[in-house]
Amino acid sequence: MKSLEDVIQAAGNPVDLLRNSQTGPNVYPGVPPEFTNWRDEQQAWQKTCVLFNLSFHMADLAVEGPDAVKLLSHLGINAFKDLALDRAKQFVPCSHDGHVIGDVILFPLAASRFNLVGRIPALSWVQYHAKTGGYDVKLELDERSAARKDPFNRKSYRFQIQGPAAMAVMKNLLGAEPPRIKFFHLCNMTIAGLAVRGLRHGMVGQPGFELFGPYAEGEAVREAIVRAGEEFGLRQCGGRAYSSNTLESGWIPSPLPAVYSGEKMKPYRQWLGADSYEARASIGGSFVSKRIEDYYFTPWDMGYGSFIDFEHDFIGREALQKIAKGPHRRKVTLALDDADVLRAIGSQLGSGERTKFIEFPSAVYSMHPFDRVVAGGRTVGVSTWIGYSSNERKMLTLAVLEPGYAEPGTPVSLVWGEENGGTSKPTVERHRQMEIRATVSPVPYVEAVRKTYTDRGWRTQAAV
Amino acid sequence: MSQRNLEEVLKAAGNPVTMLRNSQIGAYVYPVVPSEFSNWRDEQAAWQKTAVLYDQSHHMVEQYVQGPDTLKLFTHLGMNSFASFPVNRAKQLAPCSYDGHVIGDGILFHLEDNHMVFIGRAPAASWIQFHAETGGFNVKTKKDDRSPGNTKGLAINRTNYRFQIQGPNAWKVIEKLNGGPMPEVKFFHMGTMNLAGRKVRTLRHGMAGAPGLEIWGPYAEREEIRAAIVAAGKEFGLKEVGARAYATNTCESGWIPSPLPAVYTGEKMKKYREWLPASSYEATGSIGGSFNSTNIEDYYVTPYEMGYGPFIKFDHDFIGRQALEKMAGKPHRKKVTLAWNADDVVKVWRSMLEQGDPYKYIDLPLSNYTSASYDKVMRGGKQVGLNMFSGYSYNERSMLSLAIVDPDVALGSEVGLLWGEESGGSKKPTVERHRQTEIRAIVSPAPYSKQAQTTYHEGWRGKATV
Repeated sequence: MKSLEDVIQAAGNPVDLLRNSQTGPNVYPGVPPEFTNWRDEQQAWQKTCVLFNLSFHMADLAVEGPDAVKLLSHLGINAFKDLALDRAKQFVPCSHDGHVIGDVILFPLAASRFNLVGRIPALSWVQYHAKTGGYDVKLELDERSAARKDPFNRKSYRFQIQGPAAMAVMKNLLGAEPPRIKFFHLCNMTIAGLAVRGLRHGMVGQPGFELFGPYAEGEAVREAIVRAGEEFGLRQCGGRAYSSNTLESGWIPSPLPAVYSGEKMKPYRQWLGADSYEARASIGGSFVSKRIEDYYFTPWDMGYGSFIDFEHDFIGREALQKIAKGPHRRKVTLALDDADVLRAIGSQLGSGERTKFIEFPSAVYSMHPFDRVVAGGRTVGVSTWIGYSSNERKMLTLAVLEPGYAEPGTPVSLVWGEENGGTSKPTVERHRQMEIRATVSPVPYVEAVRKTYTDRGWRTQAAV
Repeated sequence: MSQRNLEEVLKAAGNPVTMLRNSQIGAYVYPVVPSEFSNWRDEQAAWQKTAVLYDQSHHMVEQYVQGPDTLKLFTHLGMNSFASFPVNRAKQLAPCSYDGHVIGDGILFHLEDNHMVFIGRAPAASWIQFHAETGGFNVKTKKDDRSPGNTKGLAINRTNYRFQIQGPNAWKVIEKLNGGPMPEVKFFHMGTMNLAGRKVRTLRHGMAGAPGLEIWGPYAEREEIRAAIVAAGKEFGLKEVGARAYATNTCESGWIPSPLPAVYTGEKMKKYREWLPASSYEATGSIGGSFNSTNIEDYYVTPYEMGYGPFIKFDHDFIGRQALEKMAGKPHRKKVTLAWNADDVVKVWRSMLEQGDPYKYIDLPLSNYTSASYDKVMRGGKQVGLNMFSGYSYNERSMLSLAIVDPDVALGSEVGLLWGEESGGSKKPTVERHRQTEIRAIVSPAPYSKQAQTTYHEGWRGKATV
């Protein structure tokens, strides 16, 4: 088998293929599971400050050439007329049918030179069009550590300093007030005598910075950050806590790339390798449908409706125009019922059939979690990310629900675990399913997130 | 740090207990190996139900000793009898201090004439190296240190790979790899087998309670050997065990990996403390748990308490002999397994969903948060023992821990395990602010696993507290 299309043909149904993927758990490599302990590391991003090391788990794609903007504008739902060298974008490409393929951060590096950073599906889609669409661009892919032979030989380091003390740490680090720029704007800085590019960020709901530069200089910059952060209680965040921060800030990391179906997507599937991310990805959870399309999200489902710019032509435009008026599903946080959570965890002790283990702090066990959310005896949405927040003292999930059930306070239930004892994914031990009651809550869940995001981002306009 | 050795570190720190209980070293990790190959539940289940591959290539120190005085050196340090220790035999070596307290333990392999290697945690290895270098023995030493906890992308290069194939189907996997029946070998005897076109050395073992083999060879060959074992094991349900599950196997099989090395006190040990570097395990390691005595000697354990009484042979002169002879006839604390009360464990988890300081987090499956764990075991308001290693067993469906308790604490009786540290917790990075709580537990045999109890006929496990 050479291509994703071959793999799907051989498997019959892509849902069965992905739900029984043998790829294993998604890893957050390059950093220890815990620098100190994940409870304190979580609390640091709400109470003091954290250093996230993003140098390893995402892929980078450099796109350069006279047609770079034309290419990206052809693929992204986003507006490109306001493109500026000092501004990054959350770049969201869709399929012809208007479903999300992925979302990544687009960094302009120079005129006609861009860097895309995130999960690989969106980057592969860009590469495909660049190579087959007659664009005058050059590409350079720098794969994530887990997908390369030399895992720790990346092109760039990438750190984030986040939390209420982030700006104080930045000031200490720079020896001056940090540049006063808006959310997602870029600037130049000097740290430890090295030139560093900065992105004003705020991943966990507080103003912060993302810093990047040549990989070889990463260790010197990291050491400088750790030193500058010491007096402010900065903690380095390990692999276990890292992926749980999004439960508080509300970004869904794991839309299934909408590439498995549709005649128009077939040439792409034939282009994607049999060992591509898409062919090896895993779906996990209680949501089971024979139709792979039921696992796709629209930009509105993800909270990206406000990004869509119908003023330009892009793949998926027609399909999105047709559904623009809605109704749309809405992204919410589910706060799981404490007693039910304890019943699930407690089933690990003593006799009786056990539920799917709830791992702390991230309870995600596949690359694309899809759990059924039910109310009144029927499925009203899917939950896509799950874990524990020691800041909120809650098990939280990020879910996409029918609008009638998306109001904060609505009682629903999450079906936890897989049917019939579980699929054959290596991360799945034999278990029974269990309904866990949940309360629909705003996204982002964290009060601080909603109060400090004053820009036009999706967080303020989201489901609250 | 301006101190050059442990003695200077201790002088600067004042009380060694305060220093070790607030060590900034972090968790004692099982390095390099992925956290999970599949998931730790199924990996634990495999060692009781099918077969497992343990990758022990990284977490232990290899201390080689070679030369005419090799046997003389180990006879001088070991309480074991060396009257019959030919080539191709191994021994559990637990050297003691002059006062008869355990410094550490590990396995001593007799590789060839006048050439042995000790494999285990750092303390016993360093003690061996010290005496080899300073005791006037005609030997050479070579140390191969454990892999770093955080590799930071640097290449790892050990002398040997070291694998164990264990579990009820282990022998089938081994014979398939060997391409024919393996000769019957006694526990801790060494031999060879065919593996992926090579002849590799073996040690008959049984760490998880059923017969298995440890194999080793040049580190560069590790992936080739691993691939062959994984392929051969597939039909027998062999699973590779990741870092999270690995250390918990001992909760079922009853070996306490982490006694505090008894080196911090005593005039006679001073020379050793001056020799141990300021960066050593002894100077940087951590103590954690509810047991908090200002006297570091209260953390020392005797070989009797660890269950090694049957090893002690007064047929030779060795360090600690006089002290052990004095202890020999007296009652000893005994090693047991504590099976934790499920409701009390859930109570700890519940506190994570409530406001205020929670109880100390119980991580699964390994719940230790320090290099050497010391919790109080209580009965009727009085301390009756020390809890020293805690984790969850998916096989036994219970939190289990290994403890040493007073002689009058009966199997089947209930004790209380004081979980967490006093006053919100020490300054160790692994310790979040928390409250203490008592967790009820049933005093149970060590090893806990019925399989381990019934299949270990030759080692100390068969003679343990049951």
